[in-house]
Amino acid sequence: MTRFVARRLVIAVVQVAAITIAVFLLIRALPADPVATRVGFNASPDVYRKAKADLGLDRSTLSQLGTYLGGSGTERGLLAGNLGTSWASGSTVASEIGDALPITLELISLSFLLAGAIAIPLGMRTARRPGKALDKAVFGYGLFAGAAPEFWWGLMLVFVFYFKLGWAPAPLGRLSPQLQAPTQRTGAILIDSLLAGRLDAFWDGLRHLILPVVTLAFVLSGPIMKMVRQSMTRVLGSDFVLYAQAAGLPPRQVSRSTLRAAFGPVLTLTSILYGFMLGGAVLVESVFSLGGLGQYSVKSVLEFNYPSIQGVVLVITVLSLVIYLVLDVLLALLDPRARHR
Amino acid sequence: MRRLSILAGATAVLAASAVLTAPTRAAAAAGEITVLAEDIPAGLDYDGPSAAIPTSQTGMVNLMEPLVYYKTKPANSEGIGLLSFGFADANFEGRLAESWTYDPKTFTWTFKLRKGVKGCGGATFNADDVVYTFARAKSVSGAAPIGWFLSNVASIANFTPDVLGADKAKAAEAQKLGDEVKKIDDFTVAIKQSAPNKLFLPVLTIFGLGIFDKETMEKNKTATDPWSHEFANNTNVPSFGPYCLDKWTKNSEFVVKGNTDYYRGAPKVTRVVYRKVPQSSNRLAAVQRGEAQLVERLTPKEFDSVRKAKGVKVAGVIGNENLFVHMNFKTPPFDNVKVRQAVAYALDYKKIIANGYFGQATKSKGPIPSSYPGFSVSKNQYDTNIEKAKTLLKEAGYKDKGDILLSYVSEKQSILLPIATQIKADLAKVGIKVKLDPLPQTQYGDRQLVKKDLQFALNDQEKPIGVDAGYATLLFFVSSEKGGLNNMVNYSSPKVDDLFAKVKNEADDKTRNTELAEIQDQLMADLAWLPVVELKTQWAFSDKLTGLAWHPDSSIRWNDLKYAG
Amino acid sequence: MTATAPTVGHPKRPHRLIAAARRDPLLTIGLCIVALSIFLALFGTLIAPKSPTEPTGAPSEHPSLSHWMGTDASGLDVFSQVISAPRTDVVLAVSAALVSSVLGTLIGLTAGYFRTWWAEVVMRISDVLQAFPVFILGMMLVALSGRNTGNLIVALSLLYTPIFIRLTRAEVLTQRNRSYVESARAMGNSEWKIAFRHVLPNSLAPSLIQLSVTVGFGILLTAGLSYVGAGVRPPTPEWGLMISSSANQLILGEWWPSVFPGLAISFTVFGFAAVGNAIERRVGG
Repeated sequence: MTRFVARRLVIAVVQVAAITIAVFLLIRALPADPVATRVGFNASPDVYRKAKADLGLDRSTLSQLGTYLGGSGTERGLLAGNLGTSWASGSTVASEIGDALPITLELISLSFLLAGAIAIPLGMRTARRPGKALDKAVFGYGLFAGAAPEFWWGLMLVFVFYFKLGWAPAPLGRLSPQLQAPTQRTGAILIDSLLAGRLDAFWDGLRHLILPVVTLAFVLSGPIMKMVRQSMTRVLGSDFVLYAQAAGLPPRQVSRSTLRAAFGPVLTLTSILYGFMLGGAVLVESVFSLGGLGQYSVKSVLEFNYPSIQGVVLVITVLSLVIYLVLDVLLALLDPRARHR
Repeated sequence: MRRLSILAGATAVLAASAVLTAPTRAAAAAGEITVLAEDIPAGLDYDGPSAAIPTSQTGMVNLMEPLVYYKTKPANSEGIGLLSFGFADANFEGRLAESWTYDPKTFTWTFKLRKGVKGCGGATFNADDVVYTFARAKSVSGAAPIGWFLSNVASIANFTPDVLGADKAKAAEAQKLGDEVKKIDDFTVAIKQSAPNKLFLPVLTIFGLGIFDKETMEKNKTATDPWSHEFANNTNVPSFGPYCLDKWTKNSEFVVKGNTDYYRGAPKVTRVVYRKVPQSSNRLAAVQRGEAQLVERLTPKEFDSVRKAKGVKVAGVIGNENLFVHMNFKTPPFDNVKVRQAVAYALDYKKIIANGYFGQATKSKGPIPSSYPGFSVSKNQYDTNIEKAKTLLKEAGYKDKGDILLSYVSEKQSILLPIATQIKADLAKVGIKVKLDPLPQTQYGDRQLVKKDLQFALNDQEKPIGVDAGYATLLFFVSSEKGGLNNMVNYSSPKVDDLFAKVKNEADDKTRNTELAEIQDQLMADLAWLPVVELKTQWAFSDKLTGLAWHPDSSIRWNDLKYAG
Repeated sequence: MTATAPTVGHPKRPHRLIAAARRDPLLTIGLCIVALSIFLALFGTLIAPKSPTEPTGAPSEHPSLSHWMGTDASGLDVFSQVISAPRTDVVLAVSAALVSSVLGTLIGLTAGYFRTWWAEVVMRISDVLQAFPVFILGMMLVALSGRNTGNLIVALSLLYTPIFIRLTRAEVLTQRNRSYVESARAMGNSEWKIAFRHVLPNSLAPSLIQLSVTVGFGILLTAGLSYVGAGVRPPTPEWGLMISSSANQLILGEWWPSVFPGLAISFTVFGFAAVGNAIERRVGG
């Protein structure tokens, strides 16, 4: 097991190094640079030249890469853990990602919890009674929920529950404008407000998350449900379940072992979706102005903000690779055969 | 399992409905307002990377104090306060400067500074703060040297392009402040110009020469950052303005509270929450429901939709915003003046005003904002005339290749897309086929200012921040060889260049205005830019909020406001 | 390649398809939707009652007899745009699905059959491509090469190829130990010939199932890219672009320019998913 993890870690490091360099080169091939926006209404050639030199863009790509990785002078480089400074705002990329990431994690974690709470019981039930009305309804729901883009669902929910009915809070971010945010510890409002004992902020934060979480859960529950049903059906037809039933084991115990056996594929799908959502929740984030990692990444690309693009890609890739690694470890624990694949 | 899931589901539904229907919170306390904009300050250093962004400027102007400022004028019919633009002493009032004198022989301005002015941290104001501000500007140590640029435009002595020279040793010498800005005593400062230049007092009103609190700035300098750019940009900008920074979460909210020691009296609106809400429709909804007291930059259509709403007021002013069509002088077919004129005749201005701006705009009479000193109505005007457009195209020998791209900033698509679609249809009528080409702001900026290769563009964000027709000419129309700064269409007219050389250091107002009028005639004859409409800068706000005034940077001074909420 | 290779079990002859459709109403609906969307992709712009790219009415008109789905903020006819959009959306998604399935299947086959360093490299590159934030990649590719259909197809294909690589490789891994491979080898066939002649046709099922689903994904992702400003150029009729440029008007009560294209996307994606599902039950199930 240790060797398996060690090998995967080494591969992951190589992958991260490759992607860092690839992104670095890709960005520099983009058809514009952000110097014009920085100098604004005073873009005389002298000023432009100076601003460009300040960003290091006048040097060769290779020398820029060296500075990015190794740093220069007192400034540390990526290898020393410094993601650099955002060209758009002048703040460190690490602090900006540190603000955005918890928002996204909070959003998608809750969405997966809700999606799981809907999809797993329904999927299991329909697997046990295929072809019944519920099975058909759930099947239709799966096809239907995944058929429209999530930002459209989000817009429709905002339209109905905020504009028309006035039940939901304005899609203006994580908290009501007048409310003081709780002291920042983790960056996730729900956790921070509980830590600070601020129940008002907790409820307000929860209210603001309902529609975005429902939107995402609605879209996510379809594929998860389908996967639960499929793998349950397969496991229910497998020899060991038939044997357990024939041996007269109590249904509850049979359920438990089928669940465990059916868990692998569901876990795989969930973690792939989770990794995807780190950057892919951007559409829902922008409908509800949440300011998460996805929005940050899109903003960075639109601004040609090289250090931020680089940082956000790095963080998302590393997180996804970590999730996949954990997944492989979990799968190996669930099913010893996978270790030797 | 089944029972459990039903139970869980029921609980979730109950909880959700309880949370959803919880009463909305009471409105803000009296004297506190929430202002929503598409962004909040990204940085507060005016020589920093984000100074060109309007919302960053809003942060700067509310925290910082200038030496002098324009006097106010009675409000317009919609209740928006106005400023008295011009160059005479009578147009200005002292802010940190109490009074000033000008010596026309030595081009020297002597400012008597105000005593007893206190900043947010309790720092007191004196001549050292003014000298520090100009020394920092001349150091050109920030990402974009705006302080130096404004000083240069106003002919302050020794603020020359030498500071940016390629020779490092020479540049470093030029970057040191000499006696052009001199402390006479603790409350007297003398500033010397190299030649007479009308722009001196006007540039002092601009956010890019706000006065720093030297004491606090110096406390936060580091060995690699002696001018505290990092601090000013990311933590706080210490000055003597009406508001003090309370809390700043980048990308989310910017909270200020009134400076109780402010020398003009503590602000009536004591706390302002400036919040980022990217979608304009969401800002609109929030002001309609009383969740915000003031919102900026909605689309004309959205402003129109709340004009008659209860509890909400919409007001605006034709200030300095114009919609322009840019045609590149270096790119066929627009290198031919007849093609440019044909485009001008082909546009359906009435439809653009009605459908694009819901009537809140008027047809432009020239490329300079009509509220600016020096503006004159050019004798060359273009009204919709399809036949004339077709004739001009025939004379020009125009052949449509169907490859013209009309570029605009994609972030502004909810305003510009309907107009671009209209223009596309208008041009199709005279036989010019164009494709629409929305570009992200940064890419648009790069191509407009640096590469200067946009062929055909629709642009509503060019407004000269220095309030003067001469400044606008220097910025946009003087050829690059003669020092033009943002000549984005590669326009070059020896006549305009020569006239501007005279205007620059012309001391007599009347002669200056005649020369400026000649320039504007030429610009319209050449169609350097095609001005389409002058549009209203508008706001939507609670009807309990009063005192809104328009400033050339379009940033609301929260200190102007009164809230009876 | 896929066109000439026989599918595994049942060769698709028309009468069988009709029989199958009769037994399976969902497949019928799916096939109708797919047929309609292909029809509109070919002829949508021709049968549109108004020009989909020029103002044909006042801005923001309610749905009426002259504008069945109203007009948008620019005065464009929503109905004409909705039925002209498959020319972009469906063509784009189908091309991307075809390109990525062909590429992915071939790479997956070689990576699965020839277990060399190549397999490891391919799989690790797919890992990275899949871990890469999709919208950043899409936006950068489009920024690099411009907003047009061809570039979008390249971007989408790059995103979807790893899925096909994975699916094919997994299938090939189980197929390569089957006895028919042994016997082919015993008869003296070359390894390449075995891989392409024998293993490939038997490993196509997962990709075929995935193909239809991928078309749906492609439509959704195109819409998403349009929403963040990396789609096709306006006023090209495209559903996602229509939604994103009209989303602002929802609050003013103008629901029609964003609701109708959303419904069109739902129907189309639903149709392709239903067909994919039917194939899955018949081929893979």
